Amino acid sequence: MNADLNELLNALPQDLAESAPDLPREQLQRIFADLAMRRPPTSSLHRVWSVGELGVQVALACGVRTVRGWFSDAGERERQQLESNLRIGLRIFHRLSYLRGTLMKLGQMAGSMPHLAPAQIVDTLDRLRFDAPPMHFSLIREVVENDLGRSPEEIFQSFEQNAFAAASIGQVHRAALKSGERVAVKIQYPGIARTIDADMRSIGALLAPVRLAFGDAIEGKFEEIRSMMKQEVDYKQEAESLGFARSVFADRDDIVVPRVHPEYSGSRVLTMDYLSGVHVDDFLAGNPSQELRDAFGAKICFAWYRMHAEKMNYADPHSGNYLFMNDGRLGLIDFGCMQHFSDNAYKSLGESLQMAAGGTAAVREILLAEGIPESELGDEAFLKIIVESSRWIAEPLRHAGPFDYGDPTHLKARFEWGSGLAANKTIMRNGTPAWMYYHRSNIALLALLYRLGARVDMSQFPIAEWWSKK
Amino acid sequence: MRVTTEVKAATRDRILVAAAEQLTLGTWESTTTRDIAAAAGIANGTLFNYFPTREAIVAALIEVTTPNATKQYRRHRTGHETLDEELFSFEWTALKSLRAYRSFLAPALEAVFSPLASPARQDPGAAIRQTHLESVARILSDHGIPQPLPAVLLQLYWTLHLGVLAYWAADTSPHQEDSLALLDHSVKLFVASLSGGAGGTIYERGSE
Repeated sequence: MNADLNELLNALPQDLAESAPDLPREQLQRIFADLAMRRPPTSSLHRVWSVGELGVQVALACGVRTVRGWFSDAGERERQQLESNLRIGLRIFHRLSYLRGTLMKLGQMAGSMPHLAPAQIVDTLDRLRFDAPPMHFSLIREVVENDLGRSPEEIFQSFEQNAFAAASIGQVHRAALKSGERVAVKIQYPGIARTIDADMRSIGALLAPVRLAFGDAIEGKFEEIRSMMKQEVDYKQEAESLGFARSVFADRDDIVVPRVHPEYSGSRVLTMDYLSGVHVDDFLAGNPSQELRDAFGAKICFAWYRMHAEKMNYADPHSGNYLFMNDGRLGLIDFGCMQHFSDNAYKSLGESLQMAAGGTAAVREILLAEGIPESELGDEAFLKIIVESSRWIAEPLRHAGPFDYGDPTHLKARFEWGSGLAANKTIMRNGTPAWMYYHRSNIALLALLYRLGARVDMSQFPIAEWWSKK
Repeated sequence: MRVTTEVKAATRDRILVAAAEQLTLGTWESTTTRDIAAAAGIANGTLFNYFPTREAIVAALIEVTTPNATKQYRRHRTGHETLDEELFSFEWTALKSLRAYRSFLAPALEAVFSPLASPARQDPGAAIRQTHLESVARILSDHGIPQPLPAVLLQLYWTLHLGVLAYWAADTSPHQEDSLALLDHSVKLFVASLSGGAGGTIYERGSE
């Protein structure tokens, strides 16, 4: 077992831990005992079987929740929903840890389906990436040799046999080049990349309950997920994204994107500069000053919006992708999931600020200009959600003085309008698939800033100027 | 004329080289012992002095790769490997040493390692099975598994080995990466069975 159970339990929301303390601990112990015995299956048949079973479990849990809810009072219903959500989350957690790869990414997409996966589930799933069982060195050696034509012993001066980080489709090892430079070597699990299409068919089955509710409108979103997942297993594409992101930031920005070593990289192996720093948990454990937390918060915000200005979205802002470096710089270490906005999606993003300022009338005008049929604009709930979400996105930008990301009000508001988002069929019919990843990454960004308790004056960044240049 | 031991060994080697060439160029079904004998420059009858069947030739081809595979496996061994890692390394090195024969191994395996073979029928794969399982037993012993190993356990391992070998021989994935994952998974299951765990069922049982 390579993960700390207590660490994982601590990541569960506190209100949940208090209301049902034994439930998660008991289930997690079983899950971890089982995970220690398992390897990720690459056989399509095996994956389909596992996903099919999971689909039934999720559907049953949802059904039971609904039926029980008919006979309960509001307080009881809330408690049951919490329990049911957690149970679904744990089941997904269990299956996805086993299947890894594509399906784990689906788990991280769960934020876009709030009625199936509300906050408790998202929080639980967020822990997944670091808990995958590692490959042993003999397997690593074969993957490296297949991809680069030479073994790790031949390429590197030293290579740490134990991974220091595990990702959904790979794991990362510290190493040193013959020149002595310290590097991080990301290595992909064999066979994962080619299973994407098969997995997407499986995901279609898993999400049957959601499709029943929203019909074919969800297809565009599947395609967006499929495209992003294919990108994520392509280490050559990630190397390109790293190179491009490096060109966006100047030294004075104090934001570090690792340099790729192309001669030691391929489609299954990615060798980058090693950045020394800590993740958010360890950073906070050091009891950093408010000033330091604000400074890192400002860098996180700057990096996020600066990349947007280049039509890129750091679409997988898992907290583990941010590194708090000892010298005060911020490291961005995973570029496997970069969303590149189309011109239309980018325009739509900029317009959300106008919507926030203009209210319902402005929203109607902009949506019509974007080609949404007039007949769809009679749905007042739809318009209300658009206005609320736009205002929510723009709130930190329009706030006078430092915006307190540590105040939970802003984050909680996301779940309020977010629950309406998933249930609104007009949005499902007309929503731009690109927004799905945007919302997911945005909420994760906000969650990180909330944990940091950072206060950031967003007016220090010339965001409007960046946008106007495009 | 007396045929010396050296001449015999040289002829045997020539047959094996010719067989590998003919089987790689042609197919398992279309290549006959006559083709192999002709390519080796000997009479068909002479070939049978060395190998009674075509399957025996393939078994010999596999056997001659073993010393090199063992050498490679030992070269990488640090002594700090876990049991599953060591078994993985041992098996994968053996598979890699057979890479040149992959094109004809898949159809030949059934004949060479037929589960219906018996000593009376001159099982061509018997010696390979024995050597392989002796090596596995040594690895298990090094990791503290009590000896002698139950016959059922050895049969289970051999079945696993043949399954991976058959999958690998027909594996079309780049660098046979699917076989890498399959072998890793299979070895894990075997090791789990040694420790009494039933891999993959703990959680399901517990959540009933």
